Amino acid sequence: MPAKEGIKSECDALVLMPVRFFMEQNMPPVFYEIKNAVIGIAGLGGLGSNVAVALARLGAGKLIIADFDIVEEGNLTRQQYFLDQVGRPKVTATVENLGRINPDIDIKTHRVRLTPENIPQIFAEADVIAECFDLPDQKQMLVETVLTRMQRPLIVSVSGVAGYGNSNAIKTTRISKRLILVGDGITVARPGTRLTASRVGIAAYHQANAIVELVINELHKVEIGGPNDTNT
Amino acid sequence: MTQTLKINGREKQFPEGQIPQTLSELLHQLNLDQATIVAEINGQIVERASFAETKIAPGASIELVRFVPGG
Repeated sequence: MPAKEGIKSECDALVLMPVRFFMEQNMPPVFYEIKNAVIGIAGLGGLGSNVAVALARLGAGKLIIADFDIVEEGNLTRQQYFLDQVGRPKVTATVENLGRINPDIDIKTHRVRLTPENIPQIFAEADVIAECFDLPDQKQMLVETVLTRMQRPLIVSVSGVAGYGNSNAIKTTRISKRLILVGDGITVARPGTRLTASRVGIAAYHQANAIVELVINELHKVEIGGPNDTNT
Repeated sequence: MTQTLKINGREKQFPEGQIPQTLSELLHQLNLDQATIVAEINGQIVERASFAETKIAPGASIELVRFVPGG
């Protein structure tokens, strides 16, 4: 592979970009596809912050992340942030955290509240979008907007992840051509049944895993060794 | 004589004349909050703003995705 600027040897590459190095060596089909896909993450809470970390470790190359919120102490029970990040925008903290895992990602950040008006423009380049909101009417709004106002992106959405235990009730289901749904569809977050790192994490990793599967099986942008393969 | 709707893959029977006329009526009968529902009829997505005027024909295949809080 051509050496990236400033990288003189494989050894340097290993130090600077271990995710790229190991994914490329060990799972080239996954790495090449995920590196070239554009993946949107709408919301960077319990779901989104975990989806982002999983995608960074998989070698994702292009992310579009959107969230209007800041990191709060209570988020640390389940979201991928750290004490010293409390008070900072989640988009900023996410960029920082992903860069510490895999600096080889092009991340476009949007610190905004997503609306039917701005979603099509913010996620225009996305091949697939992870719906990672908390409130049901916001989930509805995002899914409806993507399915009615956008032609292309697939959406992996979540409903029913609150509480703990009952791991196997969380399923990934293909609802229609462009809509994939993760969750048990039932368990509502409310006082007494709050969100836990363990269960919301399962859902987030279902989402990330569904995204990998869609990118490999359905988007398939790069033929290894073909004209669009910039990796050989 | 009954009429049928296929809702999330399952057939639901209605006595003739009692089948809901619109998507809004169906959601009301099922006690579902419209603000949390994404609906497809025969594979076509229906915008929430159109639920009240979207007619339902007997035999229609309806997919309802209900979102609950949490994430």
